[in-house]
Amino acid sequence: MKLQEIIEKLNLQVLTKSEAKNVQGVFISDLLSDVMTSANAGDLWLTVQTHHNIIAVANLVNIAAIVVTHGKKVPEETITLGNRYHVIILSTPKTIFEIASSLNAIGLKSQ
Amino acid sequence: MKARECNHNWRMIHVAYGYIITEKCSKCEIISTYFTFEDRPPLEEYREGDHYWNVVESAQSFRFDFKCASCGQTEKFEELMGLLMCIGCDKKCEVAKLQEILEKEKTWVYVAFGFLPKASHKQLSAEKIAMLEDFFNRRRNSADSRIKIVSQELVADYSLCYGKVIKDVNMLSLTVPEEGAKQSTSHSGGK
Repeated sequence: MKLQEIIEKLNLQVLTKSEAKNVQGVFISDLLSDVMTSANAGDLWLTVQTHHNIIAVANLVNIAAIVVTHGKKVPEETITLGNRYHVIILSTPKTIFEIASSLNAIGLKSQ
Repeated sequence: MKARECNHNWRMIHVAYGYIITEKCSKCEIISTYFTFEDRPPLEEYREGDHYWNVVESAQSFRFDFKCASCGQTEKFEELMGLLMCIGCDKKCEVAKLQEILEKEKTWVYVAFGFLPKASHKQLSAEKIAMLEDFFNRRRNSADSRIKIVSQELVADYSLCYGKVIKDVNMLSLTVPEEGAKQSTSHSGGK
């Protein structure tokens, strides 16, 4: 599924520069360790973490985009790094459960 | 297939979660790091030989081994403390120089760190660093961008480094979201 389609259907706010990407699945965790061990390239990563190391991990695994939930404010340095490393950061005031439910409803599953 | 003929296809196995403890000796100020499965680091200063260790940080992390899906060869990665993504903070650093060159072709540099003090711990070999790089590049499955992993020996001065080793510490977001407010951004709306 195209990332832009998901952004529009779920009304996600784009905090970084955006790129055309295909989303293959969904990964949910607030631990960097989990992403490093278990996420797949092309996953949409749902988290409440905003530390700049989320960019390091997302880039390492080639995550399609990070969705920061619960309306958590993403620090400017994280956004700047996201732009530099082509890691897309999206934001939503909704909870992880709400976003995961919506993603499931539009046909996106875990890989 | 014989291991030496194999174009290895590494998989992460034996993933085990634990903690990286960072300690500092109050006498000689040397820093020590180690991995443990114990969830409670020693909270009080303790003596070990000539050193008086105090906990500086306890971070969640993991360790793992590799197994080749083709030939079955396994490799242990007990020497790896963690990876750090270079953000090019110290222009004199060899890693930052490499990052500047490779960034043009969308290759991102990470540094593989071993445990401290270096003299007391076996450090990652060049072969294992190459295995890590191969593993993550295969897993990234991208023709557009790559990662390059280098040894910590290339870092000019870690105390000047703004990059952070990837581990789960200081990650809590304590920001209370504003009711109905959207975060300001110069890129809202996407492409």
